[in-house]
Amino acid sequence: MKQWQEYHLLSRIRSFFWAIPALIWQILLLYIPLVFVLMRSFVDKESHFTLSYYVELFDATHFIILLRSLALAATTAIICLIIAYPVAYFLSMYMSRFKNVLLFFLIIPFWTSLLVQLYAWFSILDKHGFLNIILQKLGIISQPYHVLNTPFAVYLVSIYCYIPFMIMPIYSILEKLDMRLREASLDLGATRWETFRRVTVPLSMPGIKTGFFLVFIPAFGEFVIPILLGGGKQLYVGSLITHYFLVSRSSGLGAAFTWLSSVILIIATVIMHWLFVRVVTPRKTRRAMYEPTK
Amino acid sequence: MNQQNKTCSYIFPCLVAAFYMFLYVPIIILIISSFNASAYSYEWRGFSLTWYHQLWESVEVWEALRNSCIVATASVVLSLVLGLMFVVFAAGTWLDHLLLTFYGSLAAPEIVLAVGLLSFFTFFSVPLGLTTLIAGHTLIGLGYVVPLLHSRFHELSYVLTEASLDLGADYRTTFFRVILPLLSPALMASALLTFILSFDDFIISFFCTGGTTQTLPLYFFSVIRSGASPIINALSSVFLLVSSIVVLLFSSLKIRNMDFF
Repeated sequence: MKQWQEYHLLSRIRSFFWAIPALIWQILLLYIPLVFVLMRSFVDKESHFTLSYYVELFDATHFIILLRSLALAATTAIICLIIAYPVAYFLSMYMSRFKNVLLFFLIIPFWTSLLVQLYAWFSILDKHGFLNIILQKLGIISQPYHVLNTPFAVYLVSIYCYIPFMIMPIYSILEKLDMRLREASLDLGATRWETFRRVTVPLSMPGIKTGFFLVFIPAFGEFVIPILLGGGKQLYVGSLITHYFLVSRSSGLGAAFTWLSSVILIIATVIMHWLFVRVVTPRKTRRAMYEPTK
Repeated sequence: MNQQNKTCSYIFPCLVAAFYMFLYVPIIILIISSFNASAYSYEWRGFSLTWYHQLWESVEVWEALRNSCIVATASVVLSLVLGLMFVVFAAGTWLDHLLLTFYGSLAAPEIVLAVGLLSFFTFFSVPLGLTTLIAGHTLIGLGYVVPLLHSRFHELSYVLTEASLDLGADYRTTFFRVILPLLSPALMASALLTFILSFDDFIISFFCTGGTTQTLPLYFFSVIRSGASPIINALSSVFLLVSSIVVLLFSSLKIRNMDFF
């Protein structure tokens, strides 16, 4: 790295002027707009300072919507983790012959539009759809149920759409994992479960964390799935923000709500991060991992 | 021990098979229904290409496809050129520490970015349309391109650059004949990634077009909302085909340490 800096041809020219356009692009379209939204939430139509938008947000309806989105994001992330870990574990440890094919089929949905993925569920969850037909044929239910436009559909499809985001980071960590560490653990008398719990899981923690937040953060702001599969009956954070900005055109209220939910998302993320370090990793492993040996 | 191994070797494959079924049954049903003569996916009335034919004839779809391609291509070119310029010219200067700036668009939920862009454009009364769409997609693209190119660029050996300079090449020649070819796999990968991100993006497009311009995902959304038409089955299959081609191209690049997919 050091040598790069010394020998680098372009650092000799010192024409770092050309590096600036990308930075300007990012600052102008990402950071300045966020400040704009913040300012908008404190300024009323006659451009006076006001807190009225935040006061208006301080009621049960908005509180419930925030909670609902948090619940959706957390549940989706946890269920995705429970399904994704064994799959990633198996793909990285046991599969060798069909690995590339299986990975290929895992990546395709990841690179396909979210809309296509959720539309695929319409013909299954519909009142005359496959789920109802199969359940009726099996004699489990006598009448077709409305599965579309229920919270169940929203949860199911969220898990479906976000699961590749969980598998890929865990897989890429597990694949690079040093097998000798697991062998050492088994040789030193740990059972397979103990090895898994004390060696494999803590070592794959960075992947779990990345995957968890790759699911949790977008799922919190999700609005396409609730609108299309929840029938827009239950509002979530994303759908309410969209409503304020594009339907009711009350951008002040929308701006305030955007900032409020962003702050709550940041707090939730910090808490989750803390939980990962404190609770999920066993204390002994933590000591070994984070405290240098003397 | 042996017993345990045996159970593991049965349970895991079943689990993975079940998972892949969960992942692919909806997609397979979707593809099959796109060839169904009936408008309802639960009754099979024989093989037909009606929906593909209607898709081909539809003016709206072609218009949307054209817009999607323009926006995706423009944002690929912009984010590659700007990103490469940043990575190369910032190397070794204090600007290199500002790499973190580019992670912002990855960390924030997309809807927050979209709201920011919309308020920004309306404040300066920029007319919403293709231009604002390209600006928004380039913002997303830079968030992926810059970290990727940055890590690849700093893995390159400086020895090659030095050798090239010692052997009499000037800076420009060294850049075009040595650095650019070495970076080309990473450039291709980021181009594909940005293209598909832009091509599939819905949320930014939904906020940044103001209903004036139609892209394929926007068209898709409006059709689903107004009661799904079987044309959408055919369109979905086309989307799936495009993404499998892109994934095939991408995996043929064989890039080490690619954590982006």
